[in-house]
Amino acid sequence: MVLNSLDKMIQLQKNTANIRNICVLAHVDHGEEEYLINLIDSPGHVDFSSEVSTAIRICDGCIIVVDAVEGVCPQTQAVLRQAWLENIRPVLVINKIDRLIVELKFTPQEAYSHLKNILEQINALTGTLFTSKVLEERAERETESQVNPNSEQGEQVYDWSTGLEDTDDSHLYFSPDQGNVVFTSAIDGWGFGIEHFAKIYSQKTGIKKEVLLKTLWGDYYINMKAKKIMKVDQAKGKKPLFVQLILENIWSLYDAVLKKDKEKIDKIVTSLGLKIGAREARHSDPKVQINAICSQWLPISQAVLAMVCQKLPSPLDITAERVEKLMCAGSQTFDSLPPETQALKAAFMKCGSEDTAPVIIFVSKMFAVDAKALPQNKQRPLTQEEIAERHEHARRRHAEKLAAAQGQAPLEPTQDRSDLETSPQGEELKGDEQEVESETPKPVPQEGNDREPFIAFARVFSGVARRGKKIFVLGPKYSPLEFLQRVPLGFSAPLDDLPPVPHMACCTLENLYLLMGRELEDLEKVPPGNVLGIGGLQDFVLKSATLSTLPSCPPFIPLNFEATPIVRVAVEPKHPSEMPQLVRGMKLLNQADPCVQILIQETGEHVLVTAGEVHLQRCLDDLKERFAKIQISVSEPIIPFRETITKPPKVDMVNEEIGKQQKVAVIHQTKEDHRIPEGIQVYSGGLITMTTPNKLATLSVRAMPLPEEVTQILEENSDVIRSMEQLISSLNEDKNTQMIHQKTQEKIWEFKGKLEQHLTGRKWRNTVDQIWSFGPRKCGPNILVNKSKDFQNSVWTGPDGKASKEASRYRDLGNSIVSGFQLATLSGPMCEEPLMGVCFVLEKWDLSKFEDQTASDLVKEGQGEGETCSGRDEHQDLQGGCSEPFEKRTSQKGESSLTDCYGPFSGQLIATMKEACRYALQVKPQRLMAAMYTCDIMATSDVLGRVYAVLSKREGRVLQEEMKEGTDMFIIKAVLPVAESFGFADEIRKRTSGLASPQLIFSHWEIIPSDPFWVPTTEEEYLHFGEKADSENQARKYMNAVRKRKGLYVEEKIVEHAEKQRTLSKNK
Amino acid sequence: MSIFTPTNQIRLTNVAVVRMKRAGKRFEIACYKNKVVGWRSGVEKDLDEVLQTHSVFVNVSKGQVAKKEDLISAFGTDDQTEICKQILTKGEVQVSDKERHTQLEQMFRDIATLVADKCVNPETKRPYTVILIERAMKDIHYSVKPNKSTKQQALEVIKQLKEKMKIERAHMRLRFILPVNEGKKLKEKLKPLIKVIESEDYGQQLDIVCLIDPGCFREIDELVKKETKGKGSLEVLSLKDVEEGDEKLE
Repeated sequence: MVLNSLDKMIQLQKNTANIRNICVLAHVDHGEEEYLINLIDSPGHVDFSSEVSTAIRICDGCIIVVDAVEGVCPQTQAVLRQAWLENIRPVLVINKIDRLIVELKFTPQEAYSHLKNILEQINALTGTLFTSKVLEERAERETESQVNPNSEQGEQVYDWSTGLEDTDDSHLYFSPDQGNVVFTSAIDGWGFGIEHFAKIYSQKTGIKKEVLLKTLWGDYYINMKAKKIMKVDQAKGKKPLFVQLILENIWSLYDAVLKKDKEKIDKIVTSLGLKIGAREARHSDPKVQINAICSQWLPISQAVLAMVCQKLPSPLDITAERVEKLMCAGSQTFDSLPPETQALKAAFMKCGSEDTAPVIIFVSKMFAVDAKALPQNKQRPLTQEEIAERHEHARRRHAEKLAAAQGQAPLEPTQDRSDLETSPQGEELKGDEQEVESETPKPVPQEGNDREPFIAFARVFSGVARRGKKIFVLGPKYSPLEFLQRVPLGFSAPLDDLPPVPHMACCTLENLYLLMGRELEDLEKVPPGNVLGIGGLQDFVLKSATLSTLPSCPPFIPLNFEATPIVRVAVEPKHPSEMPQLVRGMKLLNQADPCVQILIQETGEHVLVTAGEVHLQRCLDDLKERFAKIQISVSEPIIPFRETITKPPKVDMVNEEIGKQQKVAVIHQTKEDHRIPEGIQVYSGGLITMTTPNKLATLSVRAMPLPEEVTQILEENSDVIRSMEQLISSLNEDKNTQMIHQKTQEKIWEFKGKLEQHLTGRKWRNTVDQIWSFGPRKCGPNILVNKSKDFQNSVWTGPDGKASKEASRYRDLGNSIVSGFQLATLSGPMCEEPLMGVCFVLEKWDLSKFEDQTASDLVKEGQGEGETCSGRDEHQDLQGGCSEPFEKRTSQKGESSLTDCYGPFSGQLIATMKEACRYALQVKPQRLMAAMYTCDIMATSDVLGRVYAVLSKREGRVLQEEMKEGTDMFIIKAVLPVAESFGFADEIRKRTSGLASPQLIFSHWEIIPSDPFWVPTTEEEYLHFGEKADSENQARKYMNAVRKRKGLYVEEKIVEHAEKQRTLSKNK
Repeated sequence: MSIFTPTNQIRLTNVAVVRMKRAGKRFEIACYKNKVVGWRSGVEKDLDEVLQTHSVFVNVSKGQVAKKEDLISAFGTDDQTEICKQILTKGEVQVSDKERHTQLEQMFRDIATLVADKCVNPETKRPYTVILIERAMKDIHYSVKPNKSTKQQALEVIKQLKEKMKIERAHMRLRFILPVNEGKKLKEKLKPLIKVIESEDYGQQLDIVCLIDPGCFREIDELVKKETKGKGSLEVLSLKDVEEGDEKLE
């Protein structure tokens, strides 16, 4: 990330985790050979482990830095695991050794055992990774052999060994004598590997270097008299070589410097053959002295880079194993790839730079840079003559100015300069030069203003990346197989004429950059094995992609993210008019950050999903200051609920059977009654009968809970229901031309069969055949059933292909009733949330009066203006309340029959149906349904207890727990209500010090067992809960929260205790 | 005899008076503040939490208790508690500060919810969130009128918000099925009311699917009924045309 201003730098520095990958190139002379090292730094915080993932993919090796005092932290484990998964070779740096000396005041012996401990821990981690891999492979082999038992050729000898013994793993471990461990103190500028000392002491003592290399680390001691190295015998109190030869020397140096023992320092310095500058030697701060001495004696850069050069592989050494792993995603095996693709493996291995070699580039992430930082926008350095010319020019101007200003107060030069100084270089120049600078015209057309340029962070795996080369951009879901199927072999038309293949695009490599920290340098071509930046790809690449000249190249496996996004917040602009900026900003953020997810929800919320709280903070800052540049507000996302009904409970809240207890007379026992207004009859079994306001139609509705499995089936088959809906509507319009697809037909019958299978028993007899509609939105998990006699318009008639066309007016009425049902299911009575798993049964519909009326209308129509008396009577009977004179109405019959003082009849029917459904619900025991997450937690055994504590505090339920084979990790599966998940990830990480990492995925809806309207009614319940039952009722709490948010009436007292109010008005 | 000096003057500070006129007399009862509305809505069930005292007054601030005869002549009983309950449910109330506050807040939320429900962002066809609407309402300094229905006010708010931000009422999707000969005439009349015509099909009948502003549904409905003399029909395909489901931004 390029820092363009000091303010921003300071702001970023405040948060140590806010530091991003910086790629630095360095030439290193090591021995005779010159090396080029691409160094990519990645942040250590868990939230940013995605940055590690992106970096690791394009590297061949990695340096793992461990704090000598704190030892192995959770993040160390994560990083090791990532390196392991990507098959790259790690080396270890144990840093901050000086803290062992200065802060902890360890003796060399103690320090040695401490370091040994750390190494052992790390090796143990590597060991578990290794064993788990071996076990996995073994398990795979076993399943394979089970699949084709013939291949075993009847060999019955069962292999009891785990395979661990056979596999050599010694090269995996970190050990100083292997040369892959370096001890450093970066702050004091020193670091060493064993080799360094081995060289010194072999010269001094004459012991062979190889022997020393082996014995300097480990329990060996030197017998000075015999000049022999022996195994340590702890009882004798002999010091190991490492302590005696290395640590003690360093300790004594620190000792001398800290005690300011001049003589001793001098002695050490001369004995080491160093030259310390007079200034450093006299400096009072011991840190400076140590730094001066050590950086000459044991320079850290040399120690670390030497190890890097020796131990880490070059791009040429890429292992076949890694190539195969990169090329085959998921469960694919390498052998299953098309032969053209398999052939590419050789190209990988060869890493050839000839022009014929296929170009393969992997883009691991996109990052935004300031437009000013791009080299083409930068000012090119001035030539000598130009500088001289400008100097001359400026001097003349300056002289003129001085002449003009004489006598006046001296001008404030900075003032007028500040308006002019827009040049991007903004560096501090002095005197006249500064004015020269101000003279230069703006070099950049301000194209960066409306768009943040993105640069792809990439690596060339094979071939040479040249500017202007045509290349395929392969998205993560691209499949070479598909391409090969679509495009005939030997296809040689120009690249642009290719038929479209999903997830593939074609573009030209426009700008290639060398990444030098914050600097970008233009490049013409990039040979294989190098890390580079590519400009102009933002329209083709979202987050990561594979670029290749050959379409047969497979996309690389998706990046392996340790942390999945889990923290959700809703983001909104402070000023509602700035919505478009926010959306644009979020799109950019999505592209720039590999580990962020952005969702637009049905409620219109923009939800930002990040890996953790720190990551969230960074994302919000980026959004505010770079991508959207607006004020935003962040809030908890809205939590959805569903409403449903259940069977009446058999037992009450204290587990006593209902009906046996004496009901206590309660003041508010009349609760049921005033929920249902007068004029509505309630029959036994919750049958509601309602009449439309103009008394033309009567509906009888009953609500029943659907079995859980049925709800599930309905949820799963919403697309089937939708296609059925389309069928019916097209049939109703006589558009029989639309043939029913065979497959959909099959699906529909399968769906019906499933429903029939689950809706059994007396109560549900024939129900499936009478289903009229689904709701809400005609495809939801609720059913409308019509049990009236003359009903023949069920949903199944559509797919049957024999839809009976009803009279159009009848259809209209039916539509109104269905609409009423749709509205009722869209918002339930509890808190206006959608319903789920409810079956409404329309037992009776009495439209006879309406029919009579319309019939008479028709009669009238037939007879022209002369009406019969009966017709007039009927009209006057029915619409007596209507003020319109009858004669007038007959001239507009169509309207007259349907319009009266209550509005159109169809509208009345909708409203009545909706109300009837609502009341039918209210007479049944209502329940809320909460959205649930399934939660997978990986945790080590020692924090298991704390994980459970957090889960139970948040109403989570553990489903299963099992140990991962070969490790000490436990995998816990739990469910957690979405309503309780805000801040869950953060809490669990804090409580377990980062050792447990949860993952949340929405899974299902679950009924909250408690009744939101529950009040104690029996003696026992009184004893248990008290009269007011103010112990917490989860469902009620949720319901009231939703109602409050929506501005619905909440049954809550404004003031709890009348006497406890402040009795004086405010101004007294 | 009472001497009114500042020291022995007792202020009625936690008192809300409920008055009622009956039989030409005024009766008052002394209640606690912020409690009467709760009693009326049935949230508060404890009478003692509402009433300061069970006695009925002629004038609460002067402490004049109503006479027994008057009570009997007005209410037909002298059971003070019973009379108090009657006055509580039927008398005129002073709405206290907190009661008014919660009522207004509730209405404000209700209006915002209604607006959010009815409207969409015309660019994305997605609804705005309630919180955003609330903030926008505060920005335009909308003040809630307690005696107007929330639905009416919501429509008013939409009109005002349109000037500030991109907001529009969600369209309604309708289908007309009209007889051909009348259909063409009718179509011309309907045109100004229709926002977008999605499909048109001239077969045996004229079949139009279109989007309209929900505000002019009634007008259209009447027009269709009147012009076609009941032969044409109109079907509501969806009440509001919004994007459904979650979308992942990519």
